[in-house]
Amino acid sequence: MIKLDLLIAEIMVDFTNIDLDQLFGFGDDTNPLLMLVWILPIILFVFYGQRIQLQVTSSEIKKSIKKLDGYRIEARKELIDYVKKNMSLKEDPTKKIDEFLEYFTIMPVDMDPNGIVEKVKHTIRAREDYSRINVKSLSPEIDEIGLSRIITLLEIATSLHMIYKIINHMFLTAKKQNNYPLILPLQMILPFIMEEAEAITKAIPAFKLGQPIGDGIGPMVVGKMMLDTKKEIVAFQTVFSKKEYDGRTLLLLKAEGPGSNVGRPGDAVESVVSKNKPDVIIMVDAALKMEGEDSATTARGFGAAIGGIGTERFQIEEIATKNNVPVFAIVIKQSVKEAISLMTKDIANQADNVRSQIEEMIKENTKSGQTVLLIGVGNTIGVTQ
Amino acid sequence: MFSKEKQIIAYSFEKCKSCNFEKKRKFKEGDYLFSETTKCNSCDGMMQIEKIFGETIEQ
Repeated sequence: MIKLDLLIAEIMVDFTNIDLDQLFGFGDDTNPLLMLVWILPIILFVFYGQRIQLQVTSSEIKKSIKKLDGYRIEARKELIDYVKKNMSLKEDPTKKIDEFLEYFTIMPVDMDPNGIVEKVKHTIRAREDYSRINVKSLSPEIDEIGLSRIITLLEIATSLHMIYKIINHMFLTAKKQNNYPLILPLQMILPFIMEEAEAITKAIPAFKLGQPIGDGIGPMVVGKMMLDTKKEIVAFQTVFSKKEYDGRTLLLLKAEGPGSNVGRPGDAVESVVSKNKPDVIIMVDAALKMEGEDSATTARGFGAAIGGIGTERFQIEEIATKNNVPVFAIVIKQSVKEAISLMTKDIANQADNVRSQIEEMIKENTKSGQTVLLIGVGNTIGVTQ
Repeated sequence: MFSKEKQIIAYSFEKCKSCNFEKKRKFKEGDYLFSETTKCNSCDGMMQIEKIFGETIEQ
């Protein structure tokens, strides 16, 4: 014990007795070479600090870009293989697919935002229609389910291709200009981009095999309620049916499954509301969980629960406001990866709980004899009705 | 270096519409939620796919 105390005392530095001249090397007996050892790095960092940081950051970003390149190559290969295997083609589709991957969408000018939603909707739908017609032209006899899967795989490959190109462009521009501040925004957003790109890549097997994804929990709950009812197509790829529940009329709406569709809920709501005048709208959708929140938990709220570019939500909100119909929402929380890849067991197990919450919400907010419009929002791949 | 490789296995969970007999099996292509698959082993009813989900196993 005594020995240990002595040892500690020996190695402890007396901070009250420091010679500043000796410490910084200003004394008369200081070796000028030793002075250079600490002065040179300071000079180096003052004049070349940003370039050194640029090099260090660049090597990290390069690794991520290499990963992104791998993702886009994998997605392209998977798409070409799937098309070759599932479409009876007369010629090699590679050239046509490579042309599709380069397609871009120019969003409308927003200097005058008046009427921009309709313009965005028009542009997006024109692109969707073009993709559908052109993919179908490769093999006219393909069924709607197969076509929807190929279009989704094409969207995945196009997204990854575009992400790679944009990130690579930002990186090369910063390198070309030798501009460190230019690379900072890229360094900040890259982890989020990588998470999303990885999630998109991992979604490929589910879409190839036609398996339900996490986003399909809304259509899963409503699809089950639609079983044994008379179904009709109310808008493009959107199915509607009626059912009685505890003295109320339920108007059920979801994308038409089991293809990879999200339907057109905006148009469908417009049609259903004008004909049936519901007293309440309830929307069931998957929602992105916050960091720290548990996956597959549910929450209730108000307003239109629907993602996407915003045009469908705008349309539903406008109809609900015009007709003075309250909109309620039930969301099932999950990560980006869970939302677009094979449904997890925890999310699938929530289906019955969500249904009880819907029934509770209907009883709480409506009286017997009233009408409820219930919408299952999301991609309905692998989910029939 | 020592982390185990994770693999996701897809399962289809079936339930008999008559006697509620339940069965979990590996997913096969062509399985869709709520589609009727085979006759029930314990009664004459039809089995219906109630859930399709993935379970992660570490190798």
